[in-house]
Amino acid sequence: MNHHLPGITALTLVAALACGGDAPASDDTPTNDPTPGVALLTPGPVSDAGWNAGAYEGLQRIGDSLGIRISHQQTLTPAEFDEAFISYADAGYGLIFGHGFEYQDAASRVAAEYPEVTFVISGGSRPSANVVALIFQLNEASYLAGMAAGAVTQSGIVGMVGGVEIPTAKGTFVAFEAGVKAVRGDATVLETFIGSWDNVSAAKEAAAAQLREGADVLIHNVDAASFAFFQSVREARERGRVAWAFGMNRDQNGVAPDVIVGSAVIDYTGMFLQTAEAWRDGTLGSEPVYSGLATGTVEFVPNPEQEGLIPADALELIDRARQGIIAGTLEVPSIDFIEAEDPVSSL
Amino acid sequence: MNTRSGNREGQGGSESRAAAACLRNVTRRFGPVTALEGVSFDLVPGEIHGLLGENGAGKTTLARILGGLLPPDEGRVEIGGRAVALRSARDARALGVAMVHQHFSLVPRFTGFENIALFNGGAWTAKGMAAPGYRDRVEARARELKLEVELDVPVARLGVGARQRIEILKALMSETGVLLLDEPTAVLAPREVDGLFAVLREVAGVGTGIVLVAHKLDEVLAAADRVTVLRRGRWVMTEAAASVSTGELAEAMVGGGVGAVAGKPPAAGADPAAATGKHAARKVASLHGVTVTRDGEPALRDVTVEVLRGEVLGIAGVDGNGQRELARVLAGIRTPHQGEAALPAEVGWIPQDRGHEGLVNDFTISENVAFALHGKDTFRKGPWLDWTRIEETAADLVREMDVRATSPAATAATLSGGNQQKVVTGREFLRGADLLVAESPTRGLDVKATVAVRSRLAALAREGDRPPGVVLISADLDEILELSDRIAVMVRGRLIPVPRDAHNPRDIGELMLAARGQAHQDDDPRGSARPATGSGPPPGGDHR
Amino acid sequence: MTTSTFQTRPRLTPALTAAGALLATLAIAAALLALGGYSPGEAFAALLRGAFGSWDRFVSFTLVRATPLLLTGLAVAFAFKARVWNIGAEGQLHAGALAAVAVAVALPGTPGLVLIPATLLAAAMAGALWASVPAAMKTGMGVGEVITTLLMNFVALFAAQFLVQGPLRESRGVFNQTDEIPAAAHLPDLVPGTRLHIGFLIGILIAVAMWLYLTRTPGGFRLRAVGASPRAAEVSGRFRARPVVWLAFLASGAIAGLAGGVQIAGITHRMYEGLSPGWGYTAIAVALLARLNPLAVVVTAIVFGALSAGGGAMQRDAGVPEVWVRGIEALVILAVLTVDRSWQALAGRGSRG
Repeated sequence: MNHHLPGITALTLVAALACGGDAPASDDTPTNDPTPGVALLTPGPVSDAGWNAGAYEGLQRIGDSLGIRISHQQTLTPAEFDEAFISYADAGYGLIFGHGFEYQDAASRVAAEYPEVTFVISGGSRPSANVVALIFQLNEASYLAGMAAGAVTQSGIVGMVGGVEIPTAKGTFVAFEAGVKAVRGDATVLETFIGSWDNVSAAKEAAAAQLREGADVLIHNVDAASFAFFQSVREARERGRVAWAFGMNRDQNGVAPDVIVGSAVIDYTGMFLQTAEAWRDGTLGSEPVYSGLATGTVEFVPNPEQEGLIPADALELIDRARQGIIAGTLEVPSIDFIEAEDPVSSL
Repeated sequence: MNTRSGNREGQGGSESRAAAACLRNVTRRFGPVTALEGVSFDLVPGEIHGLLGENGAGKTTLARILGGLLPPDEGRVEIGGRAVALRSARDARALGVAMVHQHFSLVPRFTGFENIALFNGGAWTAKGMAAPGYRDRVEARARELKLEVELDVPVARLGVGARQRIEILKALMSETGVLLLDEPTAVLAPREVDGLFAVLREVAGVGTGIVLVAHKLDEVLAAADRVTVLRRGRWVMTEAAASVSTGELAEAMVGGGVGAVAGKPPAAGADPAAATGKHAARKVASLHGVTVTRDGEPALRDVTVEVLRGEVLGIAGVDGNGQRELARVLAGIRTPHQGEAALPAEVGWIPQDRGHEGLVNDFTISENVAFALHGKDTFRKGPWLDWTRIEETAADLVREMDVRATSPAATAATLSGGNQQKVVTGREFLRGADLLVAESPTRGLDVKATVAVRSRLAALAREGDRPPGVVLISADLDEILELSDRIAVMVRGRLIPVPRDAHNPRDIGELMLAARGQAHQDDDPRGSARPATGSGPPPGGDHR
Repeated sequence: MTTSTFQTRPRLTPALTAAGALLATLAIAAALLALGGYSPGEAFAALLRGAFGSWDRFVSFTLVRATPLLLTGLAVAFAFKARVWNIGAEGQLHAGALAAVAVAVALPGTPGLVLIPATLLAAAMAGALWASVPAAMKTGMGVGEVITTLLMNFVALFAAQFLVQGPLRESRGVFNQTDEIPAAAHLPDLVPGTRLHIGFLIGILIAVAMWLYLTRTPGGFRLRAVGASPRAAEVSGRFRARPVVWLAFLASGAIAGLAGGVQIAGITHRMYEGLSPGWGYTAIAVALLARLNPLAVVVTAIVFGALSAGGGAMQRDAGVPEVWVRGIEALVILAVLTVDRSWQALAGRGSRG
């Protein structure tokens, strides 16, 4: 009954031998490297031209400008989160980015065992001595985008198509809505979350539905599914409708220059580099790192192909709001999600 | 019954002409089973050649080899006088061999004409319509063959006979020298059968040789010019239909071949009449007015029968007359729709379908034997099965039944058919039940294995203190006659007792035919069904 | 067709075939890696290091990753053994995970000795309940379970999505995840100092129990018989297949549900969308490669766990992107299958297991 058991065992060994011949398995383990490196965990593929791609570019910039070894892993399950953190910490990586709120629990668990390693969690919610939350104030740029939308809309109906309803995504929409209403107080703002970052057909349908309800300017926060979102806007226009869209996260003006008013942009690259430099210089405390208009890593970028679309007086208003936000005189609505000191790691 | 219409050449004349098709010493095996062994067969143009045999005799295999659907393992196929290697039905068709299957291959939504045009592919134009003039050709061909066909009705709406005529016309639209019909009457009502035969005579009249595969003697004799009988994969006889009787054919189909092995039942003790006084004590099972339907059709009709300890009750009959249902009712896994079945708690049953029902091919001999033992306390230790004991028992069985296997740990798949049957037989004996049902226990076995299984069965019923009652269901008349104390014939779901003085192949064969004829006209479901108990008239009819 | 035919066959050929298949596959993988600009030697070394590099790695990474595959693999093997094609381990796992979280979160302050069994029992029962729907449809209406179990997976995934976004969302109401289960519900470590929890031991115990059941008990015999031939079971064994089919569905669902509960109580401590990367589907490969033998499932689950853990190391240490890693993993699995088949031919046909 069990005659294939030895078979599988044997071939596992054979595989071990066959592979082991190529390179000695443990002699050149990166653990032996004295300089600490920087590592990045992403929840999705770095080819998404959005959330993950931006972080990966940031990592590469760190490698180039700091001359430091870097590594990246895409993780699928929570079991892998812990494993990857531990592996990187064991392998002498001193700064580990977990690019998403989902890494918070694992980072809190692992950080207690590796006090010399700094864990940076994008959208993190439980800071501790060596777990730093990276907070993207993309809502500040969204607010400016909302002002532009309020100026561009004719119907007075503006739509927002989101991916998964998490605080960072929700925050951009809250700010966008406030921006719209700052310019056009009577505007109606529609909101849909499709429950996924990459469900192309859901993104397309959600956009189409809002357009059918009369929206003529749409913003998204659906990451990898944004191509379908733009396509939906373009199709509405082909049917003779007025339809405009905003890009999000990255400068997407070039992705669909015919329909995009402008993009609310995070400069992940700059942000990651700044964080890594602070870590190298020993100035990266345990306080959350904010990145907004003030740090120059968040910006609203009008589409240069559509110059004149946003009226000059509106651009004037937007610029004034921008100054106010940087100066701290104008507070943009946001969704707060930072907890008190992490109870686990403070034990 | 043997009258012919139409005047055609006699047998002598046709033999001088080139054969339309012939097989020379063809052998075909399916795994361990030899379906055809050294069979030769020839078909002359313009004849209807009946191919007779019990189920499993090899007639369908022969037809499929001629039709290109099966290659022979040994021997030669000749079409129109030339040796050919048929690799597919398409090859055969190119040589003018057409086959009409038992199950039709028509598109139900298409009309008869569309089906004919579809099958004869070249007749289509680019617009998806039949080529102009093709319709005329179809109609002309139908007229020529005197085929009444409905060309413009979707075939789903046609009756079975009408569909069959479409099928035949479809097959005959191109040049056809050989027409093979596999059990064409199986699906037809009696009146339609006559119509079919009239059509076949017309088809033969234009020079096509027809092979008519069937197992119903009277029908074949009514239609065929010559008859070939196969039995257990071997050629038995080829005769002009006019010169043989149904009795001779019945004997050729079911008799001969295997010699007597077990000896006749001992005269004393086993004679039911002598044991009348102890009748009640000897009764191990009884059915009373049992009716079972299958797919809405009655498969068993009002069957009443008793089985006594120490006797072999032989159930003869052509396959498919309700034997399968009878075995299942007796084994206790089918509940009668009407009537009562009084059965012992456990029943030994050697099922007909050894490969799918009697054995699990991937299981070892021991595991297959465990089917009879897994419920018995003596083969358990607490919650566990006592495999040591089961394996010992299986090893004993292998020895006693003379199973040729490397060990009881060999899987059933590695055994020959005969050895498989010995395992099943031995296992069912192990149940120690008061009733043993043996369904075609020697079908597909070679002579040696047949002798072995039969002698075990005979010994089981005659030896020991409390021998079981054995019900032997078999289409093999020799087997029935050799082993049985009492015999009944199963015809169309009814069980007809055979008087002791009629215990010979010819009388039993005639009884089957006579009963069938009677069943044709007999609308009273109980008219022909006399209970098959050996002693004393059972109470009839009051069970309702 | 006798066994001796196989014994007289030269034994060298399959062994060579196996070695050849393995080498060829590795060569193809190496060539692909080289074409992609990655060092094959580094990649394979990383794979081995990640999976077996040290005792701690083997236990904390490989065995931790193997645990859900072990449990779902056993679930699939048990069902398949009875010819119940349960493709629904993924959904049953999610049902079990949801039930585990719901029970554990609802019972704060309960001691672990009570809470852990209660949590795992809830997971098993939820898995069985999830499997009972296709079971009822198969035994009652003759609806094929391949479709129904598969569809139930989608229902479970959407239900999980709905619940973590709504009724079971964390009490802070910020992220789409449930609250964390109480510390008392966390599974204790199996090997101190590692991340391996007793869920792995539970898997081993179930594997042994399943093996004993299948090979040593009347019930297991009946289940194997129904799996091999329902008609033979009825005709030769004189027992009905239906209760056996029910048992196979429920036990399989319970074990798959347990896999979800174990993952929650042992690793994630809370539920969110995307809990499983398709363990319930990988489990089919795990079970088939083990030829449905529960003891062999332990081995194949560890092999798959090692591949998965090694794949992570390939990304980290050799810079091979995730999609490449998965492609390489698939190639290795193909090689393993080929070798396994060759091994079969070498050992001779016809295992009863």
